[in-house]
Amino acid sequence: MASVTGTAISISARPSRRSLQVFNGLSVVKSVSFAGQRKSIPSIRSHPATSRFRVSCAAKPETLEKVCNIVKKQLALPENATVAGHSKFADLGADSLDTVEVVMGLEEAFGITVEEDSAQSIVTVQDAADLIEDLVCAKSA
Amino acid sequence: MRRLLRGDMLPLPSNLVSRHLVVSSLPSLPPAPLPLRREAHLWYIVPNELEDTSLLQDYMELLSPCEKENVLSIKGEALKKCAILSRVLVRTTLSRYTDCKVNPRLFKFRKNRFGKPEVEHQNGCLWVPPSLQFNISHTSSMIACGVTVDVPIGIDIEEKRRKPVNNILSLAHRYFSPYEVQYLASFMDPESRQSEFLRLWTLKEAYVKALGRGFSGAPFRDFTIRFEKSTDSVVPERPKSEEFRIMIDTASDSENLTANWQFALVELSGSHLAAICMEKDENMPGTEQVFLKLKVWKTLPFVEDKCMSQTDAVINISGLC
Repeated sequence: MASVTGTAISISARPSRRSLQVFNGLSVVKSVSFAGQRKSIPSIRSHPATSRFRVSCAAKPETLEKVCNIVKKQLALPENATVAGHSKFADLGADSLDTVEVVMGLEEAFGITVEEDSAQSIVTVQDAADLIEDLVCAKSA
Repeated sequence: MRRLLRGDMLPLPSNLVSRHLVVSSLPSLPPAPLPLRREAHLWYIVPNELEDTSLLQDYMELLSPCEKENVLSIKGEALKKCAILSRVLVRTTLSRYTDCKVNPRLFKFRKNRFGKPEVEHQNGCLWVPPSLQFNISHTSSMIACGVTVDVPIGIDIEEKRRKPVNNILSLAHRYFSPYEVQYLASFMDPESRQSEFLRLWTLKEAYVKALGRGFSGAPFRDFTIRFEKSTDSVVPERPKSEEFRIMIDTASDSENLTANWQFALVELSGSHLAAICMEKDENMPGTEQVFLKLKVWKTLPFVEDKCMSQTDAVINISGLC
């Protein structure tokens, strides 16, 4: 499933770490770390020691569904509330504390760590699911 | 709510384009004297107290085309209302401090390079407006705007009964500094721990917003907020507080996380915690900067303004004089 943001080019289902994801002509660089090996990450990086490339894995339907359920639970939304890929976090009434709670809930459910600057670019639930899928793919690559 | 100041204004048709008519249809706001040096002003709106949908429609007319477009794209009436009231609060509050020379509609805003909103001054004005700094925060039941002259400010409000969904120590481990985690772990009673967590959260948010560098520019784990027991002798005129000072520690090699900031924490309206963070004045001697001065108003713009300072609606927890 293509990402909602911009003109994303999804590369194959078995991405290599060297593949470069391009959104609207800007290269997006993200770092990936694994839950079991959390190091203290400097908050300001002037030059990354190595280039890190974003791998691309658009979210599988089951990932999106799992993400929707976690978001619903973390935001304490009523059972009949609609949370879908196109739902914007802002429209769900999420404030900054809600956002960190959602991120933490997703990290725990998927066994990954989300960097603060990655989290900042998430607008919709689909964005979150795509990011999760990426991190999960990279972890198992 | 009965409108006290409206007089015989005409209702505004939604397709009305003429600025001239829009500008003259709402009454003037009462001007407010500027915050003094070392003083912050806080204005807040309680959205549930606004039931008059035609007033909300009039408020819409104060917004810029971009702001209106943003509001119209929001789904959900409560969120729409909050968005309108946030913009109205900022615009009307700033207007008051220009002696109402500048109509709320006329303010222009821009974002600094990290995304913090600030007032964009228009060139060519014959009259130079004061250099107003502001910051807003909102919950589903309150919208607040802090204002100073010249001094960077950040505010954060939270409902004091807010209970995080996740385990508090897990949240702290993930986001806070080690010192803060230890501090929270020292509270065995879940309610106390929850309350302390919210205090730390609002203070940390207020600092990051005052710095204006965004959440990833000042990660929570890179600085520590701590409460230092006050050894000063009690000054009779000082409002009763919990006798502790709010301190901030940042790594000495951190060029972006500065420590020359002062904090206040208050309980607002019996329902909310409000944290205020202001930059310290380098020219003032250290002892004079222990406390900050705060004035608080509750408002429904063009309808009613109530000064809440020195009432039960503003309870000093720490940092106010």
